[in-house]
Amino acid sequence: MNLIGGLALALVLAPLVAALSCLLVRHARACEALNLIASVISLGCALVLTVLVGAPASRLWDDYVVIDRAAVWVILCTSIVYFVASVYAIGYMRLLQEERRLYRFYALFAGFALTTLVAPFMNNIGLYWIAIELTTIVSAFLVAFEREAESMEAAWKYIMVVSAGISLALLGTIVFYWNGSFALGPTYQMTWAALAQVAPKMNRSLLIFSFLLVLVGYGTKVGLAPMHTWLPDAHSESPAPVSAMLSGALLNTAMIGIVRFLAITRAADLGQAPELILVAFGVLSLFVGALFIVRQQGIKRLMAYSSIEHMGVVALGFGFGGPLGIAGALYHMLNHSLNKSLMFFGAGNVMRAYGTRDIEEINGVGGYFPVAGALWLAGAIAITGAPPFGLFLSEFTIMRAGLKPSFSWAVYVMALLLIVIFVGFMNHFRRMYYGPRDEPAPSGAVSAWCAVPMWIVLVPLLVLGLWWPNAMWQYLASTAQSLSGGP
Amino acid sequence: MNTREILLQIGQVLTVLLLAPLLQGIIHQFEERVQRGQGPGIFQPYRDLWKLFHKQIVVPETASWLFWVPPIVAFTCMLTVPILIPVLTDFPLPLSDMGDILGGGLILTLGSFLIILAGLDTSSAYGGIGSSRAVMVSILAEPTLILVFVGITLLAKAMIPFVVNHLLVASWPAYFSPAHLFLVAAFFILLLVETDRMPIHSSTHIEVYMIEEGRILEYSGPLLALLKWASAMKQFILYAIFCNVLVLPWALSLKGTAIGALGAAAGLIVKFTLVGCVVVFVETAQSRLRFYRYQEPLAASFLLAILAIIGTQIF
Amino acid sequence: MLIQHLSPLASSLFSLEAIATLLLSFVMLGSRWLKNYLYAFAAESWIIAMLSATAAFFGGYPELYGIAALTFFFRGIVLPLLLWRIIRRLEVDREIHAVLQPSSSIVVGALFVVFALAVAFRVAERLNVELPITVLALTVMLSMTLIGFLILSVRHEAMSQVLGLLVLENGIQIGTQILVPGMPLLLELVILFDLLVVVACFGVLVRYLEIHAGTTSILALKRLVG
Repeated sequence: MNLIGGLALALVLAPLVAALSCLLVRHARACEALNLIASVISLGCALVLTVLVGAPASRLWDDYVVIDRAAVWVILCTSIVYFVASVYAIGYMRLLQEERRLYRFYALFAGFALTTLVAPFMNNIGLYWIAIELTTIVSAFLVAFEREAESMEAAWKYIMVVSAGISLALLGTIVFYWNGSFALGPTYQMTWAALAQVAPKMNRSLLIFSFLLVLVGYGTKVGLAPMHTWLPDAHSESPAPVSAMLSGALLNTAMIGIVRFLAITRAADLGQAPELILVAFGVLSLFVGALFIVRQQGIKRLMAYSSIEHMGVVALGFGFGGPLGIAGALYHMLNHSLNKSLMFFGAGNVMRAYGTRDIEEINGVGGYFPVAGALWLAGAIAITGAPPFGLFLSEFTIMRAGLKPSFSWAVYVMALLLIVIFVGFMNHFRRMYYGPRDEPAPSGAVSAWCAVPMWIVLVPLLVLGLWWPNAMWQYLASTAQSLSGGP
Repeated sequence: MNTREILLQIGQVLTVLLLAPLLQGIIHQFEERVQRGQGPGIFQPYRDLWKLFHKQIVVPETASWLFWVPPIVAFTCMLTVPILIPVLTDFPLPLSDMGDILGGGLILTLGSFLIILAGLDTSSAYGGIGSSRAVMVSILAEPTLILVFVGITLLAKAMIPFVVNHLLVASWPAYFSPAHLFLVAAFFILLLVETDRMPIHSSTHIEVYMIEEGRILEYSGPLLALLKWASAMKQFILYAIFCNVLVLPWALSLKGTAIGALGAAAGLIVKFTLVGCVVVFVETAQSRLRFYRYQEPLAASFLLAILAIIGTQIF
Repeated sequence: MLIQHLSPLASSLFSLEAIATLLLSFVMLGSRWLKNYLYAFAAESWIIAMLSATAAFFGGYPELYGIAALTFFFRGIVLPLLLWRIIRRLEVDREIHAVLQPSSSIVVGALFVVFALAVAFRVAERLNVELPITVLALTVMLSMTLIGFLILSVRHEAMSQVLGLLVLENGIQIGTQILVPGMPLLLELVILFDLLVVVACFGVLVRYLEIHAGTTSILALKRLVG
């Protein structure tokens, strides 16, 4: 087994071992440490893999595992979020006063990271579906961790809506397989590459039909409107580190599935239809996100709708296509993971300190929490797409990619909605930071465990916004090449 | 058009006319026996009709000219329909193409419609209740009945019922095809509804349950006899369609000889007794549904009819 | 492909089993009592197991016998048993406030079947596969998916929603067995076990729901809005 395979195995085994040991060792401090070590190992492996993996993909273990640049990029985003969320969780979960059940949280957390890390590696469309289903199940228990009525409602909505959507994706997968079986015979390995190879010979209307099913199915998991109804509830009711993982890691993992299926349809040369549908979903998600951000009352729901909006932007990027579009979308995934974690960490801090989740009751954040407040405000400016942060660059790249004649309407709508979101989002933050102070002062300071991850995330965000080296551009371009139906 | 066929046609109408009360009596007798009663004997309806024909007609003061119409028209309708369906013979008789399956259904509905009007005519409370309930049931049942007839038509790809009969007798796969089985199930439910069996049973004289009896409450004497005979004939006709067209299409006269006709008539009694046993069994095993739940068996029947039509399209 | 070389007997057997499954899902649509749902679901799973065995026999896929046995056991016995225990513990018997009455649900379900038939006809036409069994398999698969969604969205008891999801999966399973019986065995096995895990999780979540939200009726879950 070569180095790449070994690294991938280590990447996956670390959270697995951590999850199992947390279940055996029921001591809260030990579990925190185990989880942190596992996340450090995963991050290290992911960083090395990013550098090592070349343009041709490695296929391992009897073609069941594929390690190509797109998968490694998503894994990088996931492991970064896993690491910072693990650090933050140490500080945050101590505030919840749930020492006895904490080992379960860390076991589930590591398990969740495991399932999210495994999914992009799956070479088989059926196994990919199973991995996504497993992520749903594990994260549902994480959402329900805080045993409140609202958490249970959120968990129930989450698991119901997403399972229904995923079943549609299963239907689409089966129809894809059936379509391929006309050319490849009744039994064959349903790898991405095999399907892409036989795509030109597949029946076109059935291909569009199955792609639509898969798009709607996995789109539920990504949070594209109008299948987004579970997202605000699940992301707002779960503990902050879990929200960060859900937003920063899980949405990307589901998106990579849609993108791979899109690559199969591109190989079949169906014209602009699949891309147009993806762009339509993206615009709708932006629209829904914008409307709900302007009139939002809950702080974490605000972040959740921002996730919907950014996933809409990513969908737009992948829909616009071309090297610029796909590179922009991949870059946006990384920036969004970093930024959304920052926002959820800040929201978690503020919620614990003020004891409420309503925006109206939170004020004077800058005065009471100078450092953490400044970090959070910087994150807010970043997430609405303002320079000099990374998200501005990626959104700009996507808009440049979309200025083709067929998609220029989408670019105009996107620009308008981004302005609306900026104004709405910043308005909420203005009220929280510079509004009148009339509530009792918040209690407690933000612990180091909770503040350091915010620094860890903000610095790369700033760097990525100011400096885009040629090497990274080449890297993203070659990834884009492989996703447009290349080797 | 030779004399034998004319005689057969008249014979069909006479069979329906004369044997309908017998069927009614058999079913009542079975019902009573199953419920461990003595039963009035299978010829009781004949005695009832005889008694009614010798009674005086009493016309309410609030009745109009419409009072006299329903018994006569309903009776005539019930006499007309046997011409169109296979009762005794396997082959279409000269006047059988006077109307197809849908036409037969429409004539049956005409009779029911007039009896509903009769219930309203005398402006008595029970008549009004009975008529409104009957209308509600028929609103739910008629579309399904039409759908079932459409299904039969699509099954045989012809509008007259004789073709269906031949198809089912000739090939076993057609008999056991999903379309046919669904049609049988759908029509069975409709049979229960149209002949006032459980779960819609209403032939008691308790006013809460009255649908059938409420409408004809004001009639007496020979008019009542005609109405009762008409409802018995409607039951006989529906059973005839059910057996001869759908379920048991055998034992019909192939050549049209006298012996064949008599044998077919005897076979009719046997077949109807079988179906009647099943109906009584189903009836005894259930209880009466609440009025607002009448839609449920009818929705099931609608579903089965749609599935049957789909089955004819696929296969 | 398997279904292109079917004898008439095999074809009729497949059609019979598929139609019986569809009818049972209508039984689920039309009843109010949760126990009836379970019985219909168990019967449906058994028929699907028989369908797998039929596909194994006529298509020459011996591994499908194993799938058939597992379907019979896990989907037909273990799953309904798990669900029955959950129902008994929750002490819920039936849907009390229905958004859509059972009879109207049946009518809507019938319209879904007509829609699925139209789609299946179009698909078969484009594929140039005019076999009745293909059209039937596609119709049953699509209509059971739609009926599963109907049960999921219209019913408000938590357990009914779970059962709607299971009907959805059953429909996909039927389509799989008829259209692509040669799908790799690993996948079919994992999907089967995955279903068990899902139902176990639902059981736990429903219990939490009752403890913390006080009710298992979805109509009461109105706290999170906006």
